[in-house]
Amino acid sequence: MRALIAALLCLLAGSLHAQDADLLKHVLDELATHARVRADFVQSRENPALVQPQVSKGQLVFVTGHGMLWQVTQPYRETLALTGARTARIDEQGQLQVLRNGDRGVAQVTQMLQSMLSGQPDEALRQFDVQTRGNAAHWTLRFTPRQERMSRVLRAIELSGDTFLQSIQVEMQSGEITDIAFSGTRDAGALSPIESRALGMP
Amino acid sequence: MNTRGLTLRALLFAGFALGMVLLGAWQLFGRGPLPIQTDLLAMLPVTERHPLAEAAVERLAHANGDRMVLVVVDADDAKAKDAARALGKALTATNAFSSVIAELPDFDLNQFIAPYLPYRFSLLSDADRANLAHPQYNASQTLARRLNEPFLAGVGTRVQDDPFGWLQRWMDQQPWSRSPLVPEDDLLTAHRDDLTYVMVIANLRGSSYDDGVQRVALEALDRAWHGVERDYQGVQLLRTGAVFYAAAARAGAERDVHVVGLASTLGIALLLLWTFRSPRPLLVAFLSTAIGVVSALAVTLLVFGQIHLLTLVFGAALLGEAVDYSIQYLCARAYAGTGWQPQRGARQVRPALLLALGTSLLGYALLGLVPFPALRQMACFAMVGMTVACLSVFWLLPALAASPSTRALTPALITISWAWQRRVARLAQGRTGAALFVLVIALAIPGWLRLGHDDDIRLLVTPPAALTQQEARIRDITGIGNVSQFYLVTGDTPEQTLQREEALEQRLQALVAQQQLDGWTGVASMVPSAERQHDNQSALAPLFAPGAALDATLQQAGIKASIAEAYLAGWPGRVLKIDDWLSMPLSLPFRYLWMSQSEHGYASIVLPQGQNDADILRSATNGLQDTHLVDKPASVSALFGRYREYASLWLLAALLLVGAVFAWRYGRSAVRVMVPPLLGIGLTMATFGYLGEPLTLFHWMALMLVLGVGANYAVFLREGEPHTAHLPGASYASVLLSAVTALLSFGLLGLSTMPALQHVGITLLLGIGITALFAPASLSASETYS
Repeated sequence: MRALIAALLCLLAGSLHAQDADLLKHVLDELATHARVRADFVQSRENPALVQPQVSKGQLVFVTGHGMLWQVTQPYRETLALTGARTARIDEQGQLQVLRNGDRGVAQVTQMLQSMLSGQPDEALRQFDVQTRGNAAHWTLRFTPRQERMSRVLRAIELSGDTFLQSIQVEMQSGEITDIAFSGTRDAGALSPIESRALGMP
Repeated sequence: MNTRGLTLRALLFAGFALGMVLLGAWQLFGRGPLPIQTDLLAMLPVTERHPLAEAAVERLAHANGDRMVLVVVDADDAKAKDAARALGKALTATNAFSSVIAELPDFDLNQFIAPYLPYRFSLLSDADRANLAHPQYNASQTLARRLNEPFLAGVGTRVQDDPFGWLQRWMDQQPWSRSPLVPEDDLLTAHRDDLTYVMVIANLRGSSYDDGVQRVALEALDRAWHGVERDYQGVQLLRTGAVFYAAAARAGAERDVHVVGLASTLGIALLLLWTFRSPRPLLVAFLSTAIGVVSALAVTLLVFGQIHLLTLVFGAALLGEAVDYSIQYLCARAYAGTGWQPQRGARQVRPALLLALGTSLLGYALLGLVPFPALRQMACFAMVGMTVACLSVFWLLPALAASPSTRALTPALITISWAWQRRVARLAQGRTGAALFVLVIALAIPGWLRLGHDDDIRLLVTPPAALTQQEARIRDITGIGNVSQFYLVTGDTPEQTLQREEALEQRLQALVAQQQLDGWTGVASMVPSAERQHDNQSALAPLFAPGAALDATLQQAGIKASIAEAYLAGWPGRVLKIDDWLSMPLSLPFRYLWMSQSEHGYASIVLPQGQNDADILRSATNGLQDTHLVDKPASVSALFGRYREYASLWLLAALLLVGAVFAWRYGRSAVRVMVPPLLGIGLTMATFGYLGEPLTLFHWMALMLVLGVGANYAVFLREGEPHTAHLPGASYASVLLSAVTALLSFGLLGLSTMPALQHVGITLLLGIGITALFAPASLSASETYS
């Protein structure tokens, strides 16, 4: 995740004000030291159709250049592999079942976010304006859609952190708000064979 | 017949000619757009057994037909987009297009989804249908997964409309979700290899094949792009659309008509002036030929409604053959000197001309039997042109060339002719002749053995490489472009058609799983058959059954009671019918895939992607009813091959026919008369063998013409010889004159941009040349030296 943000910020740096660029560079240097990261997450979602927020918990594995594994442990168990534009589910036997493959259109925003988070942010950067807030010890990046069409659906995506990425918040125009908080961010260490395979690693 | 009768007949013929001119002019200019066909597809023969297949081929070609697909390319994203916007504005400002789409209109994602909501319980992805059939299907887990999707859930269908995500997953499979083009900054954009591609579409104000529309649109694009290029230096433009191909074909053919027509006219004029040393014969010959060509044009237009460019080019070359008849007559006049009587002259050349016309008509009639629209037109054009030109010699020329010729034929021509004639005739007699004939044949045999063949469709259709490359690149990037291989699924009812298409899609799915296919686009994936939709509903029905407590499942997951209730109230909804789909705006880009009822029922076109091997594609249709792979280029090539084989048999048959006619007229000497055309055909083939040039259908067609023309020369020579006994070599001189005019016009066809015409031209050049040189061999010693 840090490496991802590093890559992201690298690309952003050119278009930002000097002081923002300094802050970004600092954040990047901090984050860019790890290529494989593991973190626990809690995702909480509010939606006008829901009486109370949906909460799911699990573990995220991020590998630069390969994508991420989203392993939900509560309220159900499921592992999703998000690699580029593809989303696959890994079943109990470790078999990959492709859910989405390179499709666009209505799924565009999901994929844009996924591609941004899986280390290919150039497409995302074409579509978002970015504002920075805070300082090296506590920073926030706010992405707002540049296009009218997308901004009708998506209000903003906010990333914040200190030495690590701490949270992602996705605000939809429909009133849906998804808040993902990370904790215990650490080096991923060796991946299990299933994890490697799911991410398409040798 | 007296002079009055002569004049009367000439006047009648002039009236006929005037009528033809008026008829031709009215058809060309008096009925709206110029009836000149530039559509390459229109030249191709009907190859498909199923009548709807041809309609489908045409429909696919025109789906991208009446518009320009333009793609602006640059490494700099912002520059590419600005340039595309500027191009869109500039094109709109030209007012040459009915609409220009660069910046997308404002639209809401929900507008796409809302029309599908009434049908949401009838539409399931394959994976969902399979999962639902599972006895342990867990609806609450599907719901939980949907509600807890990573990052966001609310793009696409809303939770309240589709809490389980069934409709969403079905929509994810739809072709528009797979388009590589993404709306970015309100432009349709793709990114590939560090380049940004931005699409601009300009719809024409009419057909791509309409001369006026074509011109206006291309000029407008040139002007608009010129400005954009100046303001955004270095940006690239890719273009495709039928209009570019049609314009290229038109330009090529126009060039051909000009080169062949002008050069041959000029060449023939100079030759005739030099030979007859007087302008009158020249004018008379040209008038006769012009009446022939104009009549040919008028009748062809009357029969076919329009004339293909290919026919026009061929017609320009036909000048050289049509002028032969008047040359024979004018030569007779020149030889007769002061004793010239127009009536007697006409009687004198009549047998030769009729025999020559007969063999020519025979040759062209065989050409007309080939089921290629372009060849049929050419045959019709040639037969009418030749007949009228020949008749003009009998009816018009006696009046126009009534006075005796004041000047004899250029002596040089006769001297040269006589010298060659004597030489050839001497060598062609007795044992020497037989031995030489055997020797020539022996030399030709290795050439014949080396002959290959070529049936490529590009003989007829050769779009410029630059255009096909751009089209391939655009297809690669945007998925938009012409396809020549597709499946055609037919049925008596829409339901039957869709069910058959679903059976095919199952096979295609297997090919995709084996990585032999990237995917496909077909209507059944957008409108499943009613049967499939009922299956989908049945798969969901247990969940919606009163005892299943889906309401409780929804509420336990945290869905508001009112929303759960509203969702359940929507069950079971409706089945999506083809007409419902056709009326949705989202179906617009895909409507051309569905062919509504005709006398042959319904049909659906399925476009495979990512596989060119026809055998693999065809394997998917094995055992499926009324499902065919249509591969137009392959069908046309196969047809070329088949007719190439037939053509060789026809040539043999024609040789026998001509031989029979000669035997009737010349008795045993017929063998000798056949020698020049036989050598012309045989040696031409041997030359192609030695040159390694594969024979095509068009070579064989041309050989048929060589036979026709070659037989003419033998006939002219034999028939003319008794009348020119006082002037040795004169008869052969008139044959050579005919041959040179034919070479001037047909030979120039060898310069054509169209491979088919080029082959015809080169074959005729060689064949006629050789035949003319060997023509004196057709005379026996007694005839040469009498």
